[in-house]
Amino acid sequence: MKKFDYIRTVLDIFATSPFKPIAMHASKGVEATYILQKSFEAYCEGNMDAVLEYSRQIDSIEHEADIIKQTIRSEISSSIMLPVKAEDLFNFLKPQDSIADVAQEVGFWMTLRKCEVPQDLKEELKRLVEKTIETVDTYELLIGELEDLLESSFGKKDVKEALALVPRVEELEHEVDIIEKNLMMKIFNSENELGGAAVYHLTELVKLTGDIADKAEHAADRLRTMILRR
Amino acid sequence: MDYLNPYMIILVLAGLYMAWNIGANDLANAMGTSVGSGALTLKKVVIVAAFFEFTGAVFFGKRVTTTIAKGIVPLDAIKTIDPHLVVLGMLAAILAAGFWITLATFYNLPVSTTHSIVGAVLGFGIIAAMMDIIAINDIQWSILAKIVASWLISPILGAIIAYIIFLIVRFLFLQRATEPHDVERKFVYLQIMTACYIAFAHGSNDVANAVGPLYAGLNALGAADGGVPIWVLAVGGIGMVIGLATWGYRVIETIGTRITELTPTRGFSAEFATASVVILHSYSSLPISTTHTLVGSVIGVGLAGGLAAVDLSVIGKIVASWITTVPIAALTSAVIFTILLGIGI
Repeated sequence: MKKFDYIRTVLDIFATSPFKPIAMHASKGVEATYILQKSFEAYCEGNMDAVLEYSRQIDSIEHEADIIKQTIRSEISSSIMLPVKAEDLFNFLKPQDSIADVAQEVGFWMTLRKCEVPQDLKEELKRLVEKTIETVDTYELLIGELEDLLESSFGKKDVKEALALVPRVEELEHEVDIIEKNLMMKIFNSENELGGAAVYHLTELVKLTGDIADKAEHAADRLRTMILRR
Repeated sequence: MDYLNPYMIILVLAGLYMAWNIGANDLANAMGTSVGSGALTLKKVVIVAAFFEFTGAVFFGKRVTTTIAKGIVPLDAIKTIDPHLVVLGMLAAILAAGFWITLATFYNLPVSTTHSIVGAVLGFGIIAAMMDIIAINDIQWSILAKIVASWLISPILGAIIAYIIFLIVRFLFLQRATEPHDVERKFVYLQIMTACYIAFAHGSNDVANAVGPLYAGLNALGAADGGVPIWVLAVGGIGMVIGLATWGYRVIETIGTRITELTPTRGFSAEFATASVVILHSYSSLPISTTHTLVGSVIGVGLAGGLAAVDLSVIGKIVASWITTVPIAALTSAVIFTILLGIGI
């Protein structure tokens, strides 16, 4: 609105809702994870050019996510009244932001060293990534419930529906953990065949990938706190 | 009675200017919330608002108009000394309030026309007392105190009522429905009703800001003996409708496109609360600000968890406008009166 327009309005009372940008921010993390999956496939095929390109794509998505996060944070000043505690909202936004952050790290880590992995490990790695995708997908479903929650003003049924998704994210994260542990064991069992550098690179890669599901689970947990403590 | 008396023409024109401002901004604000939620199209909202605003002004605007005209400053006492003083005083008051509202609107300050006109009329009373036309104790300080108290109470009351209404709507409808969206669609009809209600309430209270001094001036000129004539209220009503039709629709559009959060259930709660508080004050002959009450009601819906984000910093701006408006309007009115008197009009 122009400063000198001949208008006096009540508009100042309505602040920008942070919840739509929050859903956008979540989808950035999911998007980054999907590109990571493509990157993994290219990595296993030894196509390092594609891995580098995917890494760049994830970089720009992570950057977009950061901008959305900054916008959300800057718009929630102390005078803004939300239907949830602002502190809880920030506490959940942080791990959600880490999803894209960690995806970025994984994408970059793959560009550092060529793939030297036996076929059975490759299969296991793919399973790890697939499970991670499943985790963040479920997390995105949970975020999608926020809109319904706001519409019904946190109706009991909607709260129940949303909160039912939290244990599902936790369960998937647990499954990711199991795959991760198995992979770690297999990597160290093949240490003579792989060599020290490859072992280090692979364990780090597996650990970082597992972190993505960790962050999604952490964010889901904080989201539950935000909904219940409002 | 000479209807072409120049004072009378100027008073009517000044009253129309105030009415235009009220229609262009205050009425538009009250109606904008209905457009925002999609309850009514812009064209329909203008028609509905025009009809009910006019009806409210003409049939229920008398009480508050009488308060503005005679409740604060004992104009009848001044009239017996010299009716001319009343005419000049009311002209000064309406010009001062009009000037302050124009300035505030350019800077988008949440200034109320009600507060401006009350301050301006008071300013005339104080300068009259300073010129020994009346005693300072002749000013109805107790009524003034009641009016000022109602300015504080009305937004709070709006917040409380909107809070309760929204909690009921939430408990009875939103939380029981399988699809909250269907509930919103049904509330569109209820919101059309509250749009009429809020326009009627606004007309009944805010018409006084335009025609209170006009009526007092006409009364002094002998053109309005007894109670407030219908035609005076109609002038206010017409002025406000013209304000809405020539400028207010733009304000409604601006508000409508930016308020997307206020869905029909939320809009209904805020509007119903606002209209009820305003009509209650019209009945009690107390001039209050519809816009400030609406802000209070929106905060009430927010407190009940109905809105995604409410910016409470507006409260500070409104409080600042309370503190500044009355002294500024009073001083301007006193200065204009002194000048008019000094140059021998």
